[in-house]
Amino acid sequence: MGFLLQHLAESSALRLPDQVAVWARGASLTYQQLEERSNQLACLFRQRGVKKGDRVGIYFPKSTASVVSMLGVLKAGGVYVPLDPAAPATRVGFIIDNCKMKALVTTAGLLKRLDPIDLRFVEFSILGEDKSEDTNGATVYPWSTLQSLPASSPPELPLTNTDLAYILYTSGSTGKPKGVMISHQNALTFVDWGADIFKIQPEDHLSNHAPLHFDLSVFDVYNALGAGATVYMIPPETQLFPASLAAFIESKGISVWYSVPSALVHLVIHGSLKSRNLEKLRLILFAGEVFPMKYLRQLADLLPNAELYNLYGPTETNVCTYYRVDRAQLPSQDRLPIGKACANTEVFAVDDRDQWVTTGGTGELYVRGPSVTNGYWADPEKTQKTVVHNRFQQHYEERLYRTGDIVKLLDDENYDFIGRRDSQIKSRGYRIELGEIEAAILNHPAVKEAVAVPVPDEEVGNRIRAIVALHQEVSISAVELQQHCASRVPSYMVPEAIDFREVLPKTSTGKVDRVRLASEAVTPAT
Amino acid sequence: MEQTSTTKDQIRQFILQSAQRKGVSTLGDDESLSQNGVMDSLVIFRLVSFLEDTFNIRVADEEIVDENFQSVNGIEKFVESKLAKKAN
Repeated sequence: MGFLLQHLAESSALRLPDQVAVWARGASLTYQQLEERSNQLACLFRQRGVKKGDRVGIYFPKSTASVVSMLGVLKAGGVYVPLDPAAPATRVGFIIDNCKMKALVTTAGLLKRLDPIDLRFVEFSILGEDKSEDTNGATVYPWSTLQSLPASSPPELPLTNTDLAYILYTSGSTGKPKGVMISHQNALTFVDWGADIFKIQPEDHLSNHAPLHFDLSVFDVYNALGAGATVYMIPPETQLFPASLAAFIESKGISVWYSVPSALVHLVIHGSLKSRNLEKLRLILFAGEVFPMKYLRQLADLLPNAELYNLYGPTETNVCTYYRVDRAQLPSQDRLPIGKACANTEVFAVDDRDQWVTTGGTGELYVRGPSVTNGYWADPEKTQKTVVHNRFQQHYEERLYRTGDIVKLLDDENYDFIGRRDSQIKSRGYRIELGEIEAAILNHPAVKEAVAVPVPDEEVGNRIRAIVALHQEVSISAVELQQHCASRVPSYMVPEAIDFREVLPKTSTGKVDRVRLASEAVTPAT
Repeated sequence: MEQTSTTKDQIRQFILQSAQRKGVSTLGDDESLSQNGVMDSLVIFRLVSFLEDTFNIRVADEEIVDENFQSVNGIEKFVESKLAKKAN
């Protein structure tokens, strides 16, 4: 009986030992090899003192070793934390320190970038292909250490599906990222639903487009492993170029694709899809932001045989609703619903009077079921704001997740996404708290006031603009301020443009007038 | 020779501007732009528009691939080959 994420790979290895499980950068691992390597890694973790619940960072560019590491940590009873190798070292350092990571799987080059203070709880690191010449005095073991360790399954630990599997850090409104804790049960609720509804088969080739610290990758990796299928991790240089990406989809025979809409929009506009034979591509899933209808219609025309699904859900619940695109309705639809609840999940909307919304009504979307997170790592204050007691049922303790998303309940029982009740936005599918950007700008000593505003954009969802007032008698250029931001937040959060004002406009209550600044950013004053 | 260095300088300057916004302050002419994090999908298409406008060339979607946009030197070579074709 499989009740932990690693069981998915274990059972596929028994059925299909010689099938390729993972492909990345020209290298691949069969299910048998994946089992053996991850067992060896788990053995090394246990020998070095990793215990049940210990956090282990996975901090290197995607490779077959990424999946080995995820499974290796889980098999050792640990909790893995994927870290973005492209993120500023200060942000990665914050996360390492925040969840008191015991170990890291990384490279010598990346390890060197980190401030030793942020590594105070890290007892050792395992280095990938790199030689361990200079590692800031940290205790390191090369990847080759694994070869000498037993490849058989490590002894069973008393784990249950309510134990944590991984933590995904997302943008936080107060300037620091927050770690969403995901248990095996949380993840498997989604993975099991996906396996059932999308009928993933061993013959399927799944692409992995999303970074591993982004929850879209959970589908790619675990739904492939569960089905005994193959996951193809898209090389970053391929991912950047739509024409290269289209060639990759064709040459690898990708049959299941999952990404943010902006990646698909780029493929539609610049991928020359017509010149490609993409008939193997049977299923296209997208999530993370609103898909502009114009490009969705073009995509549907370019790929007449593919089934298209809009998936919706915050990291805190993974996917919780889905909508199958109806090609017949597509020409007349002006927006795509987020659909209905996934199996083993209930969603409902609550209005301003705390009443459940009925057909035609609008309210905030709530989620109930085993996919809902326990909350944010070491942050009970933030947790209690969004992971709330189910006040609609008084008989026993139960969690609800309040999404902050405003939705409308349509006549056909589908939900429609209307907007946010706070200042969270999406850009290229990334969830961004404008407050985190503002905190990064305000951190600069020359800055007196700062507001970040979204500028809606069809290709990427939103572009970010900042409006800044400086202290008297200081000056700083927009580029300098962008550089300052780039050292604190990931590049997708760095404002594309920064405007300087002497003072920022205020509302009657003395607060910065965000609404006015946002509308001015969309239609610049002439 | 004069022409060659001007092309490269213009390309380098444009890319360096994008790089600075991402906290990358130095850039080798052979450095991989996808690996150092300078390139993203927005930068690429902004760069393509810049090349089209500055050098009066037309870049087809099929040409916007890693082989042509790997590094400053690679982009220069690509632009030079487009200009040579145009001259013929």
